[in-house]
Amino acid sequence: MFKTIVRKEILENISSYRFPLFAVICLTLVPLSLYVNHADYGKRLRDYGEQMRLADEAGSSMTMRDLMAGSVAMKGFRRPALLSVFSQGLESAMPRFYEFTQDGVKPGESSSGDESVLSVQGKVDFVFLVQMVLSLIGLLYASDMISGEKETGTLRAMLSNRLPRDTILSGKIAGGYLALWLPFVFSFLLGAFLLLPGSFPFFSGDTPARIVAILLATSLFLLIYYILGMAVSTSSAKSRTSAMAILLVWAFFQLIAPKLSGMIASVIYPVRTETAVSLEKSLLAKSVDTETAKELGRQYDFIFGAGRQGTADDEKTPERKKWDSVRSDIEQSARDRKAREVGRIDETYRQEKRRQQTLAVNISLLSPSAAFARLIADVCGTGEVERTKYGEAVLAYQKALDSELFSKVKRTIMIHPSGGTTMGFMTLPVDFKKLPKFSMTPSSLAEAFKANGNSLVSLVFWLVAPFAVAYVRFLKYDVR
Amino acid sequence: MSQQKLYLKADDLSKRYEDGVLALDHLNLEVRAGEVYCLLGANGAGKTTTINLFLNFIPPTTGTCFINGIDVTRDPLEAKKYVAFVSENVMLYGNFTARQNLDFFAKLGGKTGLAKEAYYQVMRRVSLQEKAFEQRVKTFSKGMRQKLGISIAIIKDALAILLDEPTAGLDPKAAEEFLEILTELKAEGKAILMSTHDIFRAKEIGDRVGIMKEGRLVLERTREELQYEDLVKIYIDYMKSEPLTA
Repeated sequence: MFKTIVRKEILENISSYRFPLFAVICLTLVPLSLYVNHADYGKRLRDYGEQMRLADEAGSSMTMRDLMAGSVAMKGFRRPALLSVFSQGLESAMPRFYEFTQDGVKPGESSSGDESVLSVQGKVDFVFLVQMVLSLIGLLYASDMISGEKETGTLRAMLSNRLPRDTILSGKIAGGYLALWLPFVFSFLLGAFLLLPGSFPFFSGDTPARIVAILLATSLFLLIYYILGMAVSTSSAKSRTSAMAILLVWAFFQLIAPKLSGMIASVIYPVRTETAVSLEKSLLAKSVDTETAKELGRQYDFIFGAGRQGTADDEKTPERKKWDSVRSDIEQSARDRKAREVGRIDETYRQEKRRQQTLAVNISLLSPSAAFARLIADVCGTGEVERTKYGEAVLAYQKALDSELFSKVKRTIMIHPSGGTTMGFMTLPVDFKKLPKFSMTPSSLAEAFKANGNSLVSLVFWLVAPFAVAYVRFLKYDVR
Repeated sequence: MSQQKLYLKADDLSKRYEDGVLALDHLNLEVRAGEVYCLLGANGAGKTTTINLFLNFIPPTTGTCFINGIDVTRDPLEAKKYVAFVSENVMLYGNFTARQNLDFFAKLGGKTGLAKEAYYQVMRRVSLQEKAFEQRVKTFSKGMRQKLGISIAIIKDALAILLDEPTAGLDPKAAEEFLEILTELKAEGKAILMSTHDIFRAKEIGDRVGIMKEGRLVLERTREELQYEDLVKIYIDYMKSEPLTA
């Protein structure tokens, strides 16, 4: 019986006008989006290569004079993610590079800076198509599965036979979904095939596993929307009512819930702006620097006597030895204090931000669409996991440069009690050719899944809950 | 007739809907093998409710329906093995051909592995044109759909057939052809319960005719009794009479 229903559903869908329409949409948009985004990836990769070359050239021509002048700026570039071809995620929002100077790190431009005003509508990638187009088609496909058959009376005809209702429901889900899934899979494979001439490295590293994960997650997502449509269909007696309800469900899950989540989270946990935090840090640094300079001036005058600037030039005197020791202690203490205080500000800000973000993510997971987008972005290496790893790599590189490069030039500023100011330089040798290079390990598939436990829970919930609703309602469905 | 097996039985059957309307009021009826029972009545008299109760589409408020001795409420799936259903607007899949529809419903009726020719034979039996066998049903006239509907009932080979106003909207020729098929099925020993507005055809084909009003079976006549009575007059008199009191 189950097979009979499945076969009938497939045949009925294939012979309806919807199937060729859906097939054309899939076969046009999915391969086209993959092809266009692959071309875009190629362009970004070439830009990356060129910028790396220029940065290497700039690095090899650096001198101690540049370092003393404070004009040394190192750059750490992030390689574009290969699977951004499928999901742009945060790819265009992440800076292409970070610039490291003696004064700290600042993010470079993001690739979204190159884009036209049209990009405010959102970039059309595979995930966008699945979220905005295929999900709606999936819902509409299922919208009249029950109510439509009630209207035509075929449901009564079916149920006048020895046929359990749960068999009808499961058969309709399986058959109807297959009719939706097959054109999708075919278009996915066609899109992948079109990438071959562009030498897309399908078999490098864990790329095949990631592509399979994308295919499976998308199949699950479409099934969720199909069953959601089925649940709506079993809750209404008319297919027109179902269609209206489905549009509302779709709008809520696709447009409202994901956007509302950020707004609600920012109301519950307001967080200062990055500029305000940056200002607080620079004020603190300035204050510590001034205090340090004053303390150094006081100690200098105490050791060498007020108004005897220049005496410290003789390295062999006991005063000079004492001064070196005192200065080192004060500077170290200032560095420690600055690091501690700035670290505290950063940590507080990170915690506030994380709390707000966690809340926003959790609220957004009310929508299977947001859960899907999050999961796929991480699987494609363009999501939150990648951004975190990028941030960690930047911090690690900053530390490495501080120890290998920027700490080799020490500037000592003293403010004497008399009001005068003195500045001194001390440099240590630097081998510019042996400076560490920026590197980051892209996020792995395992990390992507580990970070998306709640996304997976949300997807499973949205699979089970509508099925349960559809099941319970259909068992009591009035077929008259 | 009373020696024949009892295939359809309504025992003190009542149905009150959620809105309080009493659609069926203590109905008792029996249809035996080889018998055609016609239920006459105005819209809302309870004819379709009776059929819906036999098909377990709705639960009875009181009483029981039996199909081949099986309590429909207690074991609906087993009971449905023995019944076929044809409605006023035969419910078919418009994008399927006649044979595909027949194949699908035959399988639901438990008839698997039938050859194409078996379907064609059934469709020939109901005088469906050969060229229509592989045509999409959405192009069919109402008469053709009714013929296909009765083909589905024939291919299921059920003991009892429920027909809900099957001749409504058919032209006289199509209606006549339809009744000929019913006569054949009756001769094969099927128990047929048909709700209809068509007094003349009810008199022509019915072994018994019941008149329903406001959920009650107010009159029942056998074919023999009707030879001496004017069914049209009786029916119209009942329709004109005062509403029944509860």
